Amino acid sequence: MEVGIAAIGLLCSAGIGTEGARGGRPGPVPGFRPRAYISNRKSLKLMSRAVKLGVSAIALASGNQTELISATAPPRRAMFVGSNPLGGALDDLLPALDISTNSSGVLDLGSFATEGIPRIHPLWLVKGLSNNVLGIASMLHDFQGPNANYCQGESSGFLALHEAWATITEGRADLALAGAADSLLQAKALFPGRRLGEGAAFFLLRPWEPSDRWLVRSGAGEAALVQEEPDLGYLGVAGAVVGLARALLSGVPRATLRQGGLSLTVAATS
Amino acid sequence: MTRHPRRVWVVGVGVVTAFGSGLAPLTEALEHNRTAARPPLPSHAPKPSVPCLAEYQGTLPECPPFRDDRKVELLFEAFRQLAGLPEALGGRLGVFLGTGLSSVTPGELAHDLYPHLLGRSFDRRSLARHLSTEGGAPNRHLPGRAARALATRLHATGPVQTCFSACAASGQSIADAAMAIRRGEIGAALAGGHDSMTHPLGVASFFLLNTLSSKLCRPFDTRRDGFLLGEGAALLLLANPGAARAAGLEPLAVLWGAGSSADAHSATAPHPRGHGAFLAMERALDDAGIPPHAVEQVNAHGTGTVVGDRAEALAISRLLPESTSVCSMKGAFGHTIAAAGVVELAATIGAMCMGFSPGTAGCLEPASDCPINVQQEPLPRAPAVVLSNSFGFGGQNVSLVLAHPLA
Repeated sequence: MEVGIAAIGLLCSAGIGTEGARGGRPGPVPGFRPRAYISNRKSLKLMSRAVKLGVSAIALASGNQTELISATAPPRRAMFVGSNPLGGALDDLLPALDISTNSSGVLDLGSFATEGIPRIHPLWLVKGLSNNVLGIASMLHDFQGPNANYCQGESSGFLALHEAWATITEGRADLALAGAADSLLQAKALFPGRRLGEGAAFFLLRPWEPSDRWLVRSGAGEAALVQEEPDLGYLGVAGAVVGLARALLSGVPRATLRQGGLSLTVAATS
Repeated sequence: MTRHPRRVWVVGVGVVTAFGSGLAPLTEALEHNRTAARPPLPSHAPKPSVPCLAEYQGTLPECPPFRDDRKVELLFEAFRQLAGLPEALGGRLGVFLGTGLSSVTPGELAHDLYPHLLGRSFDRRSLARHLSTEGGAPNRHLPGRAARALATRLHATGPVQTCFSACAASGQSIADAAMAIRRGEIGAALAGGHDSMTHPLGVASFFLLNTLSSKLCRPFDTRRDGFLLGEGAALLLLANPGAARAAGLEPLAVLWGAGSSADAHSATAPHPRGHGAFLAMERALDDAGIPPHAVEQVNAHGTGTVVGDRAEALAISRLLPESTSVCSMKGAFGHTIAAAGVVELAATIGAMCMGFSPGTAGCLEPASDCPINVQQEPLPRAPAVVLSNSFGFGGQNVSLVLAHPLA
């Protein structure tokens, strides 16, 4: 069975959607307003910046495909996500750490237990979960099918895309959203000296239809290898899929992602 | 013995739980329905109302450069038990791990962050200077590094992946590995998971979510009120039957099928009727090509929470015959979070090999709102086919069908 891409959702510092295909430099996604994509304001409170980007990219990829999605039973809709475990939730711990650290800078576990813990937000653990894009987006779009969340560095997006391809070819789902999201703008302390950025790209895959602009195949073939998106700075787990989305949307005929002896090539069909 | 082309052999097991290192102490404890719950060390108890944890008491190998990362030490202790088996299998090997949110340990906080605290914020400049001289310190927080380290050690040339789907993580990794073997992408895989959240921050996190038991963990019991927090790691060596035979290896058990689903219901609560759990189990049976009545025992996720146990029980009762035996291991060695799926699968294999079916430690009076046949005590007869569930916070569900080699 051949697999097609019905839609791409892209957010990066060059722009949103097809505007993000060219140009750009490291920095925030311009004009990004999560509420434009996520109507459930309650769920916004549980989201880090990277999660907002990911859920918004999924909304973009599915926005023009509501007919296709609603024609597919929710249990046949799959979702695979590459995400960064650095959810930015450390700041939420600061009040507890502050009160529990003595003047010598040593953590007092007794103080942490009695005085620190009450200062931590009850949903701290939930906010920091790496699988939040997957959990929240599957809820918002009613995707009940096969799923997984991968944290394997820069390979995460490829693994998500590969599993989506495999799930469709094996007939375990009729529709799959796959991609990755990351925001490293606040992570300068962890990546000193690097140009950092943010971005997200998600792909809506299905069994091949003639109206699909792109075809996904296993194997490398003769295609440009996408490993990251250097122009936009280091995008962490999202680099390769943002690079792939930009290549496809800007008209590159073939592009390949690979890891561990596996590879996928996406080719334009016209 | 099965020659079904879609079935994947389990030819090696390494496991660490609060009962000890290896399958022997684990199966011995399960055969006697014991619990590993012990009062936590004073530094681990954030409040007196968390009476017990299930922690591994032995020594663990040092794993440089994974300084102060207990879950990685647990993983390498499990890996040590496989001693040369992965290398014995020819062909491409993949590494598939499930891991959890335990990256930020108190030791790391103390070492990396506390010296740079300025009131309610970090001195980010001094922190950046510190990290830049640490030689890879940021990598300590990346969950994919343990899988990469195992792959490097084994010279594995296949895919390397880390699944991070809360308590479903290691179950999903097993499923992904099995699918990759079936597709012929690899001949064998080291698959499993590891987690340790028994440190103060981990205990605090679950305490704040009101999910820990205030007494003893009692899955599916009338008086259940939360789970026992455990820690552990397990690795299964999975192989294509042909590759295993060529290496002279016999199966300990056979993975027949897998299914995953999403609740798509709530970010913080399971579907009240266990719809996602039902879908995962139904898919696993379909993938295995067996009818519901072929399942002889369910190893339930069964954490001991009021809503979680009820939802799972409703899903099981909707799918499987009323007489199907259901057990939970969470009262025995606790909820090992991201490692739960594979640790419980390892325990199931151990029980199969020893010829018994595990009971449900802690369940004294099965609850009427859980309409299933809870097996409270171990029975001296191994089930031929087991359905094992793992459900993650965030709504990810995975079910695996495991069978005795002679089934």
